[in-house]
Amino acid sequence: MIVVLFLVALLALFFGTIFPLLAVSLDKRIVRTISLSAIIVASILLGSVSLILLYYGEPVFFTLYKPLPAISLSFTIDRLASFFLFIISVVSACVAIYFTEYVEHLTGSTRRNLVCGCTNLFILAMALVVTSANTLTFFLFWELMAASSFLLVTYEYTHDETRKAGIFYFVMTQLSSLFVLLGIIVLYVVSGSFALSPLPDASTPLVTVAFLALFIGFSIKAGVIPFHKWLPYAHPASPSPVSALMSGVMLKCSVYGLLRFLLDVFTPDLWWGVLILAAGTASALLGIIYALKEHDVKGMLAYSSIENIGIIFTGIGLAVIFTASHLPLLATLSLLGALFHSANHAMFKSLLFLTAGSVVSATHTRNIEQMGGLAHRMPVTSALFFVGAVSIAALPPLNGFASEIMIFTAFFSSVAVVDPLFKVLLFICLALFALTSALSAACFVKAFGSIFLALPRSPGSAAAKEVPRAMLIGPGILAAVCILLGVFALQIFAFVGFAVPLPDMLLVSLLLLGMIGLTYGVLYFTASRTVRVSETWGCGTLSQQALAEYSGHGFSEPLDVIFSAIYRTRITNKRTFFDQKNCIFKEGTGEIRLLKVFEEYLYRPVAQQSMRVAKSVSRFQNGCLDTYLLYVFVTVIALIVFLGGFA
Amino acid sequence: MNFDFVLYLVINTLVVIAISPLFVSLIKKVKAWTQGRQGPSVFQTYFTLIKLLKKEVIYSPNSSRIMRITPLVTMAAILVAALFVPLVFVPEPVGGIGNIILFLYLLALARFFMALAGLDAGSSFGGMGSSREMSISAIIEPTTIIVFAALAFVFKTTNIFDMFTLTTTPGSPATPTLILIGISLFIILVVETSRIPVDNPETHLELTMIHEGMILEQSGKNLALMELSAAVKMTVLMALLINLIVPFGLTTTLTLAGILFAVIVFILKGSILAGIIGLFESSMAKRRFFQLPSLFAMAFFFSTLIIIIEVFS
Repeated sequence: MIVVLFLVALLALFFGTIFPLLAVSLDKRIVRTISLSAIIVASILLGSVSLILLYYGEPVFFTLYKPLPAISLSFTIDRLASFFLFIISVVSACVAIYFTEYVEHLTGSTRRNLVCGCTNLFILAMALVVTSANTLTFFLFWELMAASSFLLVTYEYTHDETRKAGIFYFVMTQLSSLFVLLGIIVLYVVSGSFALSPLPDASTPLVTVAFLALFIGFSIKAGVIPFHKWLPYAHPASPSPVSALMSGVMLKCSVYGLLRFLLDVFTPDLWWGVLILAAGTASALLGIIYALKEHDVKGMLAYSSIENIGIIFTGIGLAVIFTASHLPLLATLSLLGALFHSANHAMFKSLLFLTAGSVVSATHTRNIEQMGGLAHRMPVTSALFFVGAVSIAALPPLNGFASEIMIFTAFFSSVAVVDPLFKVLLFICLALFALTSALSAACFVKAFGSIFLALPRSPGSAAAKEVPRAMLIGPGILAAVCILLGVFALQIFAFVGFAVPLPDMLLVSLLLLGMIGLTYGVLYFTASRTVRVSETWGCGTLSQQALAEYSGHGFSEPLDVIFSAIYRTRITNKRTFFDQKNCIFKEGTGEIRLLKVFEEYLYRPVAQQSMRVAKSVSRFQNGCLDTYLLYVFVTVIALIVFLGGFA
Repeated sequence: MNFDFVLYLVINTLVVIAISPLFVSLIKKVKAWTQGRQGPSVFQTYFTLIKLLKKEVIYSPNSSRIMRITPLVTMAAILVAALFVPLVFVPEPVGGIGNIILFLYLLALARFFMALAGLDAGSSFGGMGSSREMSISAIIEPTTIIVFAALAFVFKTTNIFDMFTLTTTPGSPATPTLILIGISLFIILVVETSRIPVDNPETHLELTMIHEGMILEQSGKNLALMELSAAVKMTVLMALLINLIVPFGLTTTLTLAGILFAVIVFILKGSILAGIIGLFESSMAKRRFFQLPSLFAMAFFFSTLIIIIEVFS
């Protein structure tokens, strides 16, 4: 039954992929709507499959194709897989609803059919990645996911920056695949099979190599610092629904991969946990610090994804540390925190990317300094973005807080870890974690304030109109999910059978509502009800000017100065004067430049070295037929000698 | 939820609203005395609030719904946060009320709305206040969380109710640790309630103000709510400090006499702390904004010390 439902969902996605390819020359809205409807149908099916399995917890296993005894294309859906399947289905459904309208605003006539098909393929690949039963199947669909997402990123390939972003993304994602493949091969060498089953012996050097390779592979795909650089390039370049899918769901597939290997294959050492925790904390903190500085709305959201992946990795790292210290209860708590944050981040980040897409398509700019005043012009979009901002800033009673408090509680309980040095390490990570979450509140005050509040700062922003209904329904569902996951967090965990030490957010929300009602009631009967709308006092200026407002740059200036060591800002100021005493100013240029630390010190040297190696290798590739014949001859001789030696 | 707890909700909310303006005036009074002035009456804050309620509300034409809901949400968030810190009577905690992390984030919720309201009217004063408030709150956060973690570490619980119950029973944590935590909590109190040396609550000068800048656009009953919520927030943080260090008078059983006694004792303890805050403020100058991180780094070092002492002792 479950298998049938699952296969029907896959068929729907497959149909959604093929159909626009068949009708590729037909530039009709109906073609795209049918293709995207396939996603919605498939999502509903996948969602129900995952909910049934989450509740009953009985894994389902089936094989699709088995060419050799050792190699098979088989799938298993257990609770972990169905949890990620649930994330995929909710986000995909909402993105598809949004996309039906958004795709019509894109340029590129019949290319739009292809983007719909490709989105189907992308979702199909992700659903199969999280349900793969062996490493080979996993890698196959991991590559399919990478390839289809590359096609989606380069949709607007006519722009130079998109092409650059696409290549950057492609190189990084292939690097990730390379490391994952290396890990899988090493695992095969160790265990002799492609199965996702526990290794016989715990920690040999080979197992450590396999873990490191897989960790690096998944980190690159998840955007963990220092492998993060593709996110702030790829997200602004790709269409908003694609960003929502990539940030909301694809990053979670690498979280899934890491968790699957950690839980099912390895028996983690303590230092693996420390490594994951350190990578997580660094990504969380640096991610949000860079997000504060970013004024491209989608770039800002991309950096914020890096931060949230850091939070998830922090939870996973804690879980590994607690498991290795034999504290199963705390390990479960932090693991659940990491999983719950994955779901929450998927919901609010897709919500934010979709609403940001609406804003960008209404104002025709991605620069938040050119927005402003949209709360009056796009009331529903602004309310939806607001829900996302409150969630991501981890404020109660919404879902971002519900998962962060689990990780906080795990940190607070880390007293139980025996080694005093580890305690101190954990407390320092706790302090940085708290800093991260406070900075993300500052970041989203800035984002919401600059985009939606005060006066419009450009003609585009002043002329913005609310988007069509389909572009509100998709994010609307996500906003509702954000609220529900937060308010009913305790009840949801009780329902699936986990007793977590969470405060009852339902009670807190009721108390909040009660207090709002009480305050309103008391004021209604005691206070004056006169309300007047009048111009703000502006120190004697006649009317308020948009350019005199506090800008996004100004807002983050104090934090820029405080964290200037991290930003590595270079301020240059060249001036010429008419007189010798430098009194009468003639002309000058000023520049504030951010050093791209990771690009200049890590990516560029690596790229240059690989170019150098490639250049020396390319000498063998001289295009002359005789040389190639020589190669063939030498290879044959070498083979004969080699085989002869062994036989 | 039992009857005791419902009664606790009512008592705590009423007491905190009734007392908090008094402490605000007391601090002003002490500061006036140290400056050789008579100062306003200790009931002046009550009069100001009542006056504000009678005034009309003025909104800027640029402002959105954020401006209109912020006073209500801020007040509600602070009042719910106030429920997490029992002033006079400690019941059994229900459904995670009293969780110290949630307490911290309810204060953050209020701050988030306040900062948005500061940006809403588009005036540069409000924006300046919001920007500074969010920056300061971000860089003090590591210290706050470490102090709270130290509390959780010392008392072996994350619930404020349980901490208070533990301090009222004999054999509570050793005094030296509590004094260290007291000092750290005092620094947090000063920062969170926007007092000298971090912010100056008296002035409306654009170069110095932070919290006052954010609420510059508020008027009438909305301003009254903002002022009252700031006062309640200060009282709650004071109560956290007082009831941990000097739990005398705090009752765990529900009797009328006990509650009345506890209220009187709390007012006395609070007045003494208000006096200390007033003297502390008078003895200091406001720091330059960019000198604050080093001040916070000191507080951070201090609170980390507690943990290290606790870990290795």
